[in-house]
Amino acid sequence: MAAWGGVSRLWRRGCQGLGTFPVNYSSRDMPKQYRFLLNKDLLWVQFSGFHTDLHHHKDNSLISISDEPDTLYRKLSVLVKGHDKTVLDSYEYFAVLAAKELGISIEKIHEPPRKIERFTLLKSIHIFKKHRVQYEMRTHYRCLELKHLTGSTADVYLEYIQRNLPEGVAMEIKKTKLEKLPEHIQKPIWDKLPSVEETATGALETGH
Amino acid sequence: MAAASGCLFCARPMLPRLCAGLAAGPRSLLRVSAYSTALVVGSAGPSPGQVAASRRSRTSQIARNRRLPGAPRTEKMAVDQYWGNVYPTAAAFNPSSVPLPIRMGYPVKRGVPPPKEGNLELIKIPNFLHLTPPAIKKHCTALKDFCTEWPTVLDSDEKCEQHFPIEIETVDYVSAGPSVRNPKARVVTLRVKLSKLNLDDHAKKKLIKLVGERYCKDTDILTITTDRCPLRRQNYDYGVYLLTVLYHESWKTEMWENEKTEADMEEYIWDNSPSQKNALDTLVRIRAAEKTTEVTKEELLASEIVENYKTTVVALKNEGETENNILQYKESVTKLLNLQALQ
Repeated sequence: MAAWGGVSRLWRRGCQGLGTFPVNYSSRDMPKQYRFLLNKDLLWVQFSGFHTDLHHHKDNSLISISDEPDTLYRKLSVLVKGHDKTVLDSYEYFAVLAAKELGISIEKIHEPPRKIERFTLLKSIHIFKKHRVQYEMRTHYRCLELKHLTGSTADVYLEYIQRNLPEGVAMEIKKTKLEKLPEHIQKPIWDKLPSVEETATGALETGH
Repeated sequence: MAAASGCLFCARPMLPRLCAGLAAGPRSLLRVSAYSTALVVGSAGPSPGQVAASRRSRTSQIARNRRLPGAPRTEKMAVDQYWGNVYPTAAAFNPSSVPLPIRMGYPVKRGVPPPKEGNLELIKIPNFLHLTPPAIKKHCTALKDFCTEWPTVLDSDEKCEQHFPIEIETVDYVSAGPSVRNPKARVVTLRVKLSKLNLDDHAKKKLIKLVGERYCKDTDILTITTDRCPLRRQNYDYGVYLLTVLYHESWKTEMWENEKTEADMEEYIWDNSPSQKNALDTLVRIRAAEKTTEVTKEELLASEIVENYKTTVVALKNEGETENNILQYKESVTKLLNLQALQ
């Protein structure tokens, strides 16, 4: 089971605006203010909201809205690995239903081929080289690809998925985040800073 | 009874037994008070025979007074109960809480798999009894408030690329083990299309040369993978710094770039090439042999036939030999040398 610690804090941000370079906040650094017990295992702390349905969210006192722009994920790929295929089947059903309920579009669900790791060991602790024992470890995979998620939705969905990850199952999440071009790459700086360049070249010449 | 209760100070399960024992009489009072700390005045204490007898009768009393296990909870469950109250969270399988006739395990010879009572296989396997569809829907309705919607403007990949040209790819790992950390989690991959960057021709070629293998010509994507820093945030900053440096360096023109030879060129340029010289020489000599009006090289260059020839030669060299290319080259050559008779 993933070690999620005591409290997980979630930021829900407004729509990504123009101009400012979006900073992806690590949600756990935020000071905790609200605590909402969903069920015994889940401890959620929510912040911020989407600015169009402000009125609806004002009723729910646990949501607060911030101006920080939301991150955008073009694709979220969830790969689960386990030793038992039936457990992965059930987990996939759960993850797909959760995604549908939360309104997340699923791009593809596929099952990469299983991998079997086999090794041969001596059966006895001393001599008897001809008598060996063979072990194998079977790893089954299941990949769920989701597309077009906002940062808040992704955080919510991933936390829900990860808290309900069964024992003996591991997960890898690949996030593809969209970002604007930073301002310092819009135009080359060499036209604007001739004096700096000259002094720099002058320093180089005098140095050598 | 009051005196007896005075000598008993702790409220232990033995209390009912002791009270029952008390009813037997003063002799039994002596026996049962061996477990209490009260002083018994004027008695020598129980003899070994009496102690053994007391133990036997005590065990039979314990056996008599033991609370029998009641009917399993499954029999008391209503058919229309809310299952979320039975399994609200992840819990081990309890056969008396799950009203299903499940059998699991390897069947005995000419038999069936073992039933659920005392079945270790059912307890070992992770169950999803707490994640039934109604429970999932209930969780999701509560979670829906904290989700934001994807902006409807960005419904296709092209629009995403147009507004957000850079893609950052990170991987998170979740697994059980001695440590929560995974060293692979610090790798950051930055992908950007060069057409979205503000680059001129020379800058683009220089950037491609600087970057080498990290650029893919077919998709026009530059991929920068960083993992030299210990933290993901640092790797991301380093990746952005690399992109900035590459961009600005490619706009600079160094002194030694004048020494670029033909071998360094990425694509074929027709101007000042042997092909141009040969073609123009040939045309001038044809004109001279036919003794028509002298035409200068500049006029020849500007003429349509020579332009056509130029485009076909450039296409052949840069894109390789395709059927279309070769046919066009043939047509341009025939027009250049006025060889309509061969067609």
